[in-house]
Amino acid sequence: MTVARPFILVAISLSIILLTNFAAPAQSPKRKSRAAKPSVVVREIDATSLAAILKRESAARPLLVNFWATWCDPCREEFPELVKLDQQFRPKGLDMIAVSLDDFADIKTAVPKFLRQMRATMPAYLLNVPDPDPIIKSVDPRWSGALPATFLYDAEGHVVYKHFGRIKPLELRAEIEKLVGSKVVMSQ
Amino acid sequence: MKKNAITFLLATIFVIAGAVVASIARSTEGEVPAPPAIGATIEDFTLPDADGKEHSLNSLKGKNGSVLIFVATKCPVSNGYNERMEKLAQDYKARGINVIGINSNVAESAAAVKAHAAQNNLTFTVLKDPANKVADRLGATVTPEAYFLDANNKLLYRGRIDNAKDPAQVNSSELRDAIEATLAGKPVAKTTASAFGCTIKRA
Repeated sequence: MTVARPFILVAISLSIILLTNFAAPAQSPKRKSRAAKPSVVVREIDATSLAAILKRESAARPLLVNFWATWCDPCREEFPELVKLDQQFRPKGLDMIAVSLDDFADIKTAVPKFLRQMRATMPAYLLNVPDPDPIIKSVDPRWSGALPATFLYDAEGHVVYKHFGRIKPLELRAEIEKLVGSKVVMSQ
Repeated sequence: MKKNAITFLLATIFVIAGAVVASIARSTEGEVPAPPAIGATIEDFTLPDADGKEHSLNSLKGKNGSVLIFVATKCPVSNGYNERMEKLAQDYKARGINVIGINSNVAESAAAVKAHAAQNNLTFTVLKDPANKVADRLGATVTPEAYFLDANNKLLYRGRIDNAKDPAQVNSSELRDAIEATLAGKPVAKTTASAFGCTIKRA
């Protein structure tokens, strides 16, 4: 109870702030709804295109790759953290992509809808392959295909950090900072 | 001599303490042990079913072997395979291979497992693995994931049931191929294959 009480208070105050902000009649409802829904395009990729992206032949920046699906609870739960990391570290030199394993039928519906809700702006792909096995094994031999899975590549295309299951934001952030930090030092 | 003995004892304690600390550090990172190699013998284990009744692997397996499938009640991929898993159990029961489900998801209770089996007409036994004992031993991380063992509990195949969540797109059935090869006295051609699925949420 002693722990829960401050949270409840914070939650109530937040709700009041949010309600008062959003319950106010919008002056321009059309404009507002457009601003709330940035256009999101999810591109279909196959095994070869994904391999080319991960190989990073012309890469100069580190890359974070998140494999996810709208049907995957921990994927949806961790997504706001990824969006935050993308917004924070993209200007500092990190690339991030989200690779959805949803059914191809969802490429124009459920997948972009979720990304819009998340206000996600990283490049988004949907991997459409008849046999996922070679891809899973080529990304990482220890990966079973369990989602979510997150891989951090350095600018040379080597995996420097990976996490299966819901990300640990602090741990991931520290790993990104190592890469982005070293890049800053090198360029000086 | 006495001093040497004390030094040795201290060194031993230090090593053991180090190993304990290292194992704790690994487990907090969520590392799962690697699965046993193909050909390895899986030791017998005992787990409760959804009613709390204990079963050993040896008591549940068929005369020609068993298929252990890590399942979930809430994972859409695992649920996409409910009918296929039941059909597999029906098809091979008479041929001496028993399907055994294992639910290692911490958030899915025995009661939920029981209700799920009833709703989805699953007739094979589903065991509850509350401390991930068997999931850890088999290095299981995803649902659904199958382990095909012969009559002596030797691991012959590990991985997906087939290539596609959508039954209409199935064009390779590695688990059935492994079972059929074994029943025909032939070696298993493809011993592992992966597919995308849900992470097993461990305790």
